[in-house]
Amino acid sequence: MSTYAATSWTLAAMVAAFVLSSWRFKSPELSMVVTALVGALVAGLGFPAHLFVEGTFTFLDLAFIFITACIFMNAYSEVGAMNALVRALVVRLHRRKWLLLMVLALLMLIPGALTGAGVVSVLVVGGLVAAVLRLMGLAEDRVAAFVFMLGILSAVAPPINVWAMLMAAGANMPYVGFDLVLLVPVLIIAAFTVLYLGWGAVPQSKEAILAGLPPLSPKMTWWRAAVPLAVLLALALGAKYAAFTLPTIGFPLMFLICAATTVAIDPVRRPVKRWLEVVNQTVEQVFPLVATMVSVGVLVNILAATGVRGLIAISFVALPIIGIYATSLFVCPLAQGSLGFGSAVILGTPLIFVFNAVGANVTVVAAAFSMLFALGDCLPPSRIVGRTAIETVGYKGSYGSFLKATAVPWLVMGIVALAMLIVPGRAAFLVRY
Amino acid sequence: MILLQELIHQTYFVLAGLIAVLLVTRLFRRKSRPGLAYDIVYAYAIIPFVLRALHIK
Repeated sequence: MSTYAATSWTLAAMVAAFVLSSWRFKSPELSMVVTALVGALVAGLGFPAHLFVEGTFTFLDLAFIFITACIFMNAYSEVGAMNALVRALVVRLHRRKWLLLMVLALLMLIPGALTGAGVVSVLVVGGLVAAVLRLMGLAEDRVAAFVFMLGILSAVAPPINVWAMLMAAGANMPYVGFDLVLLVPVLIIAAFTVLYLGWGAVPQSKEAILAGLPPLSPKMTWWRAAVPLAVLLALALGAKYAAFTLPTIGFPLMFLICAATTVAIDPVRRPVKRWLEVVNQTVEQVFPLVATMVSVGVLVNILAATGVRGLIAISFVALPIIGIYATSLFVCPLAQGSLGFGSAVILGTPLIFVFNAVGANVTVVAAAFSMLFALGDCLPPSRIVGRTAIETVGYKGSYGSFLKATAVPWLVMGIVALAMLIVPGRAAFLVRY
Repeated sequence: MILLQELIHQTYFVLAGLIAVLLVTRLFRRKSRPGLAYDIVYAYAIIPFVLRALHIK
């Protein structure tokens, strides 16, 4: 049997294993590990324990971020700071619906833009934004779609776009000139998302909204609520713009510092036992995401070891340019869904060389591909930002109904990215060094 | 600066250990997602945190 046929056979066995185990176990995390196990067995690798264990470390940094960001946000909600901020926003901007929605969209863009991870935006401000959106009259599926779309846009927004950084590093090009070529499309798509999802929403009266919110803690003022967020912003900006004078803290420690700040500003002074309960609840709440990260890492490692990852990448990159245009909107998001940021390395970097060979502006091309990859954050097996969004906003509907609500802004983002890919010269004026 | 950086480095190992302890506690005392499938998921999700805390990987 040729290598191509053997690898194709492994791929088919893995797809079948994933479908069957998803149906049998009802756990996407376990299904991914079972799929990896089947892939290794079919490819003749036996049970490569070292590959499995190494795989669990692939996305460990993201798992740390998820856990610590959620601890911070749950602590923030526990002290009533979230409630105070929601109330302050409602009181000040209630009469101006579109302005309020735009402010919320910008608020959601900041954490992801600074960290490069859309899931951070969803975890840090998604709950607050969802609370206000509901009171502004948006339906539940639209609230989840809003939080998801702004989450993935925040990951694309400059200064940190991990996909573009990985592609640039792989193709030996500097990560410069990306700011405007990323920011302008992101703002256009964010504005469209706000208009599309906010259209027809009728806000409740200010009094009704405030009556529907939990009572304000007597000593919880808006400035007290703003302190932990200001600390987070200061630490994130410091890490970005004073990287050579400040020690590298990393986002998990930043979130823990902010959680400690939140405990310090607590006007009620809750006992340590209560905080331990909050941490335990948080770990249980965030566990599916952590398990997904660990399981995806295992799956990606086995995909690489069996050659299936290479088979998928080569099959796509070897297409003629017109074929890449025709399939990018499906292949890139699906690759992101299964490989995470690895998609930028496996597909993105070779594609940069392909487009460079035909004389396209590769900065625009890399920006376009980063948008296409970001679209896959709601697709299986990982569905990482999609799942985080529906869990953060507490959406009770099916995952399919959430995808349906997201479809139009998702497609618009895909069309904008494809347009940049097909005529990169038209967007080249946005590349400023 | 070097000392501070080393302190932060070690803090991450401690953090990994704390998360491992929390996950083990949730494996036995969780209120959501009962059943054998999630017992297995909890069991292997703990592995990287334990190995990191022990400086093995």
